[in-house]
Amino acid sequence: MKNKILVYGAGAIGRGYIPWIFPSDRYELSFVENNSELRGLLQKQKEFTTYRTKSGQYVKLICEFKDCFDLGEEDPTDYDGIITAVGARQVYALIDSLSNVDCPIVLFENDSKIPLELSELTGKSNIYFGVPDVITSNTAPAEMLEQDPLSIVTEDGVCFVEDGAVDLGGDISYVSQEELSKQWTAKLYLHNTPHCIAAYLGAMHGKTYLHESMARDSIYSIVEGAMNEMSRTLIQLFDLDKEFVEWYSKKELARFSNVLLYDPVLRVAREPFRKLGLHDRLIGAAQLSLSVGVMPNNLTLGIMSAFLYDEEHDEDFHIKILMNSLEKEKFLKLIINVNPHEALYKLLVKKWDESIDTLKGI
Amino acid sequence: MNRLEIAINAAVSAGDLLMDHYGKVYGIKNKESLRDVVSEIDELSESKVMSILQESDPGCTVLTEEKGLIGPDSDSRWIVDALDGTVNYIHNIPFFCVSISYWVDNRPSIGAIYNPYSGDIYYAEKGVGCFVNQKRLHLLDVELGNNLTAMAFSGKAYNPSMRSTEFGIFGQLNDLSQGCLRTGSAAMNLSYLSHGKFSLVMGKANKLWDVAAGLLIAEEAGADVKFNMTDKQKHLVDYIAATPSSKKKIYTDIDMSYFDL
Repeated sequence: MKNKILVYGAGAIGRGYIPWIFPSDRYELSFVENNSELRGLLQKQKEFTTYRTKSGQYVKLICEFKDCFDLGEEDPTDYDGIITAVGARQVYALIDSLSNVDCPIVLFENDSKIPLELSELTGKSNIYFGVPDVITSNTAPAEMLEQDPLSIVTEDGVCFVEDGAVDLGGDISYVSQEELSKQWTAKLYLHNTPHCIAAYLGAMHGKTYLHESMARDSIYSIVEGAMNEMSRTLIQLFDLDKEFVEWYSKKELARFSNVLLYDPVLRVAREPFRKLGLHDRLIGAAQLSLSVGVMPNNLTLGIMSAFLYDEEHDEDFHIKILMNSLEKEKFLKLIINVNPHEALYKLLVKKWDESIDTLKGI
Repeated sequence: MNRLEIAINAAVSAGDLLMDHYGKVYGIKNKESLRDVVSEIDELSESKVMSILQESDPGCTVLTEEKGLIGPDSDSRWIVDALDGTVNYIHNIPFFCVSISYWVDNRPSIGAIYNPYSGDIYYAEKGVGCFVNQKRLHLLDVELGNNLTAMAFSGKAYNPSMRSTEFGIFGQLNDLSQGCLRTGSAAMNLSYLSHGKFSLVMGKANKLWDVAAGLLIAEEAGADVKFNMTDKQKHLVDYIAATPSSKKKIYTDIDMSYFDL
């Protein structure tokens, strides 16, 4: 008998990556998706195609699933395991759904604080953090979409989850909290930081996909520079193994440039305010680097490119309104919440105009 | 800058000026009642806002608290209260703000409210949404009994024969909720409603500039908002803004006929 897994979110990770770690011979997947158009298509097709890039080629998997529900239609107590991949802001809408569930719940939400917060809010101790160390596009090349409009492309990644959730099974590395913390730190600052910088720089230059952005030498140079700044920072700060960090960094630059992925700039750049959180991948990264004496020159350019993100359909489209209406000091203090006494504030103010000029010229 | 950006820029610039002078004593004049005072800083702040509006939106029409209507007579106009909560301000109570809105055909289309003490910028555009600083606001339907409320009466419309009615409603609202506040700033009341800190805000004969931005901010956050210009010459407004369940509750439990809505 197959284990039943309920997946909240049929987006990039949910549809693209999860079918690879829960093979259909052992697991029966169902989805909850609140995008009515996507849900309708899933309900109509009852299957979709996910492609994994491996050794420069695509490997195809047709995923047949049991159900696709609208949020609230599902009965989460009817499953052996639950995965969420809905987005760090949206996951709080699941509090009621998760409150009565006793099976392992694993959150793939790119924020290590969220499992703790949800545990408090639901009163449940079966909520765990997971790190899918993988880039998954939320779309696919046109020829794949012609065959199946639900096609999606993912890397051949690895996935780490707290060992308390081991009953969930799947092709997952269950690790201690200490090991997960190391993997998360590496992912947040060596993957997420340069990844979103590549996206913001690409957005400034009208690029559609990450690999197009990385193909531009001037952008690659800034992304690589940011990666190096974070590598030096992490080695000093967390005593991470130098070889591990160097290996990870090289791997990341190759991932961002993967021409098979078709990873949209809009997906990676979305919600800039979240990424500009005080402890998140941009401001948080630059603060860390300053704390160990590493000058965040390229990170600063990345932060500025996020400030300048101009996408009217983004949830955080109002970053442009605030950038246009406020002086830089006010923007940093009131909107980004950087304290005027901090070194990063002073650095950003000092380099503000120079950074904008640099970014325009890349 | 577009008009929303102009409104935010002007509100924050004037708010900075208010903070530069906060805690200092200024010449105070009574206007129409003991509580309705104007200080030098009101006028300074208004001058700051006016200079930004006239530079950024040349030829515009502006209705201000201190100087009345400025510019050509038009139904598309800026409405400015450069210091809402003057009494709080002069008593060093940090609950005051700058309120700037743009109205088209007697309806609000843009609003910005800045409390310089807390650093909160509330802003909204019709049909686009409501925000405080970087955060989008979505009002939850919190019931009246589970939250605070606020009510604002106007000193200028003081009507001794109705005073007991006003305080009667205030008392009823106080008992139906976790407390009814009279904060001294109608604009901040509406901002706090949009932020979920109040579940209901209402006012009788408030000046339009006190609530012009806040009504839109509350509505765009998801509040049920109703207002009526009861005296166009004096710019008086009656209004209620609330979570849907709170509004339903008071229309069931309180005689609301005193409000011309």
